[in-house]
Amino acid sequence: MANLKELRGRIKSVASIAQITRAMEMVASMKLRKVQAKAQSFHPYVDEIRHMIEALAGKVGGEGDVPLFRTRDVQTVGFFVVASDRGLCGSYNSNLLFGLKKVADALQAEGKKVKFWVYGRKAYAWLTRRGFTVERFFVEPPLDKADFTAAKLVGQALVDAFTTGVVDEVRLYYTRFQSMIKFVPTDAPFLPIRTIAVGEAKQPQKSFELDFLIEPDATTVFNRLMPRYLETVVFDAMLQSLTSEHASRRMAMKGATDAAVRMQKGLKKVYNRARQENITKELLDIVGGASAVS
Amino acid sequence: MAAELHLRIVTPDRTIVDRKVAGVSFQGVDGSYGILPQHAPLMTAISNTGTATITELDGKSSELFVSDGFAQVQHNVLTLVCEAGEFAHEIDLERVKAAEAKAREKMAGLDRLSAEFLKAEASLRKALAREMLARRGSGSGTLG
Repeated sequence: MANLKELRGRIKSVASIAQITRAMEMVASMKLRKVQAKAQSFHPYVDEIRHMIEALAGKVGGEGDVPLFRTRDVQTVGFFVVASDRGLCGSYNSNLLFGLKKVADALQAEGKKVKFWVYGRKAYAWLTRRGFTVERFFVEPPLDKADFTAAKLVGQALVDAFTTGVVDEVRLYYTRFQSMIKFVPTDAPFLPIRTIAVGEAKQPQKSFELDFLIEPDATTVFNRLMPRYLETVVFDAMLQSLTSEHASRRMAMKGATDAAVRMQKGLKKVYNRARQENITKELLDIVGGASAVS
Repeated sequence: MAAELHLRIVTPDRTIVDRKVAGVSFQGVDGSYGILPQHAPLMTAISNTGTATITELDGKSSELFVSDGFAQVQHNVLTLVCEAGEFAHEIDLERVKAAEAKAREKMAGLDRLSAEFLKAEASLRKALAREMLARRGSGSGTLG
């Protein structure tokens, strides 16, 4: 009898878990749509910036005199890591962080130092637990509300660290959103700048008028353009990670909901069988009692 | 050929303007620019804080705040790529005032030559430029 009551309780709790995970799934898909819309409206900006850099690159003589392009003997490597603030998103964080650990361990084995700039509470907790030094942990604005200002902040921090010699190389470690079901942890070089790459490369659009006026002069414009470019790269990494996070959470929550529903069905069967057994037993008792009396 | 210029204003958040206009003027790092249809190909940096004035095809004009950006003319298309862009009527005066107060407060406690001071000063300038534009745009209230 106690068994029946217990089963009823379990069915109830599984049902309410299914309800919660279903709600989380829906929230995640909504957020996913939002982030994707954000990424969509960010595209024109990226295209323009890249366009201008490509146009200017040929006009600026000798890239060696721009500090952000100068390669140095690498002793300290800085990583900018983007993970999530919250859990329950499948293997999103662990995939990223285990990959990162491998890279960091390899670097340390070579005698290089690693430093971290982190977005996302999960990454921060993970790294500090393993004894890595986190140079800076960005909390404001929270990743969910991250806008271009956040990317600007990060970009400036990274450029500062690079130019003041705190680190000799900066890399981005984030999750690239490949499709709704595929998220790839990515290790991308950031500083010094080697190649200009942001967003997807697309077919060359309309012809470019090569001969154009530049005011005040190419170097000035280029030097102003460079930080903007770096910020777009950071923002792109953040958006990619956010998209992956929400897609990953949606998938995980869908899996959890399905599992809960399956479990609920199984429990219901067990419950019904137990109930039937009880009834049969009671009937037998009554029949047995009646036949004993007569 | 009709005397019109295609204007695009692109920010990280959205594309604000994407239409034909009669002319645009804005402040570059080294002075004011006025771009009319059939302008020669050009690339320049926009000053950190400033306003751009759009002259519409019907002769009316509208002003907007732009910051930290670049301007490019290619094939009779003027593209302003900037970090922020707001039309006068979109500016939230309350927020701007808050930003102004914050910047002033920050500046008060800092060494005049430090990088932080310069940053605070830059944000103060931005706030003031926005404020001025918003006041002018709404047509109510007085300056200062």
